[in-house]
Amino acid sequence: MKHLKSFNKKAKMLDAAVSQGDVEEVVAMQSVVGCTSVNDPGWEVDPFGGLGSLCQPMESDLYGCADACWWPAQVPDTMSTHPNWSQDVAKADEDWRKIDAVFPESE
Amino acid sequence: MKNRSMKRVLRFGGAVAFLGFASTVSAIDGPQIIKENCLLCHSETGKAEAPFSRISQQRKTPEGWQMTINRMKSQRGLLLKPEDERVLIKYLADTQGLAPSETADFRYVLEREPNVVEQNVPEHLASTCMGCHSGARAGLQRRTTDEWQKLVHFHMGQVPSIEYLAGHRDRPWFQIALNETSTQLGEGYPLVTKAWDDWKAAPKAPLNGDWVMSGFMPDKGEFSATVSVMPNKKDEYTLLVNGYYANGTKLTGSGNAKVFAGYEWRGAVVIDGRKMRQVFAASEDGQSLSGRMFLKNDDVIGGEVFAKKAGKSPVIVSVSPTYIKQGTTQTLKITGSNLSEKISLGKGISVEGVVSKTADHMLVKVKADAKAMVGDRTLAVGASSLDAALAVYDSVARVDITPGESIARIGGNGGPIPKQKSIYRAIGYAAGADGKPGTEDDLKLGYMPATWSLKPFDAVAEEEHDLKYAGKINAQGIFTPGDAGLNPERKMSTNNVGNLAVVGTVTEGGAAVSGEAHLLVTVQDFVKELIQ
Repeated sequence: MKHLKSFNKKAKMLDAAVSQGDVEEVVAMQSVVGCTSVNDPGWEVDPFGGLGSLCQPMESDLYGCADACWWPAQVPDTMSTHPNWSQDVAKADEDWRKIDAVFPESE
Repeated sequence: MKNRSMKRVLRFGGAVAFLGFASTVSAIDGPQIIKENCLLCHSETGKAEAPFSRISQQRKTPEGWQMTINRMKSQRGLLLKPEDERVLIKYLADTQGLAPSETADFRYVLEREPNVVEQNVPEHLASTCMGCHSGARAGLQRRTTDEWQKLVHFHMGQVPSIEYLAGHRDRPWFQIALNETSTQLGEGYPLVTKAWDDWKAAPKAPLNGDWVMSGFMPDKGEFSATVSVMPNKKDEYTLLVNGYYANGTKLTGSGNAKVFAGYEWRGAVVIDGRKMRQVFAASEDGQSLSGRMFLKNDDVIGGEVFAKKAGKSPVIVSVSPTYIKQGTTQTLKITGSNLSEKISLGKGISVEGVVSKTADHMLVKVKADAKAMVGDRTLAVGASSLDAALAVYDSVARVDITPGESIARIGGNGGPIPKQKSIYRAIGYAAGADGKPGTEDDLKLGYMPATWSLKPFDAVAEEEHDLKYAGKINAQGIFTPGDAGLNPERKMSTNNVGNLAVVGTVTEGGAAVSGEAHLLVTVQDFVKELIQ
């Protein structure tokens, strides 16, 4: 690593996280029930226990998460389970108020 | 938008619909409902002990069976009358449920306790399953190894990209899950257990009668109550709740409860006009109930509850506060029934008198000598006693904020998904014999009143002005996150997310002791599940 220089913020955070031993903290944070610990880049939390490396604003990449069922317990997967979720909302970043969560169907 | 909101409320209400007590009654029993509705895909095995394919090889909680039926309805075209659904869930949870000892380690997920960091999770479960959901979701099921393997196949079919997720794609996830994890789950969480066989055969204590309850609601504080539980029909009860909050105001409510598998209490009550849910476990002897009560439409707003059955003998449920400082006078609230006025807390603590007494509690003024020995005391009220009921201390040396790791989620702002708040409480400790806080001999004092503030968690949060946008905390330790949506004021129109530290400060005699918790204010959860 000493011959490579971090050229963006995310890379600098990676350097900092590793050098400061933040990994344990990140692991703890990832384990809050209800949050995914799939951190590429992460839904609730990024690989460094923060928010700086998430896709932000979230709406800009929301459908990229849904189409690929990347976080199926947090974002409805439109590949197989919820194909019609938000189908009427073409632009999530403009019409985010029209996007609801999915709920268990029952009586 | 109004129509969408209405639909949303109805659907969320439906998520706990098995708590409902609709007047329509199913004309047929559980096995018949399966035969009439499920055999297009499932088959009859011809074996009396396991009559239906797939279904008979699993055991689950009521919520687990509800989730299965929800999935069959939304994904597989199952059409089930509401009254038949209620009967079927009750039948499956009673006959293919979990024993009390099998759910004991995972109550938090049934109780929807927020901000739990799961502990002591087997490595195979953590690395294979917990990228998406809790370990408890697996821990609250029992299956044959063959059935656990079928569950892996189901995941591959339903979520095809599962092999490509981070932490999965760098190893043969499918082969590991199918051949290793399934085997370990089949051994750790097998279909047939002595615990379930014994519990299923054991006589179950009826839960009707009078109860004394002690609990906490974040926005109202601690409370005590008597709960009259009247039998309705088998495993169904009607409740009347009457009690007091810590500030002396009255609490009244009523509702219903249904009991699954002989101990899984699910209550739907309205207390002071607010719809609430109860997820309790009855003790095996039917003499106590413990769990969590929370707002139906905002389940973060809730707290732990403990109740004991009242009888002819005195019963102590709880004491509040749970500490007294040397050389001070304190009014204690002792929650219980048939409490006598013969009160003892050991040497150095004198009882100055009973201030007031109701059906569910007694207020008692006590004084600790300046030299009363530091440590836990047993409370004796007549012939009844409660160990470690009161801690005598010299000074508050450490404050822990619970939960230590937490999240809140942005919401509202005209969108359909409400904000997900987070709740904090301060736990005080005395330094113990070594005089040093943070060591093993620290004396836990219990929940203490605190003042609350926020600060940026790190330099990045400071640079991004997270404190300005991510939300506010109130005097009760309730954090309300910022509005949903893009925020053009922020760099790249970032959402109102933030990385914060919650600071709770306990002040005593002019000295302030603070503790901190980590709070990530993050984005919405678009998938609501009964078991996360």
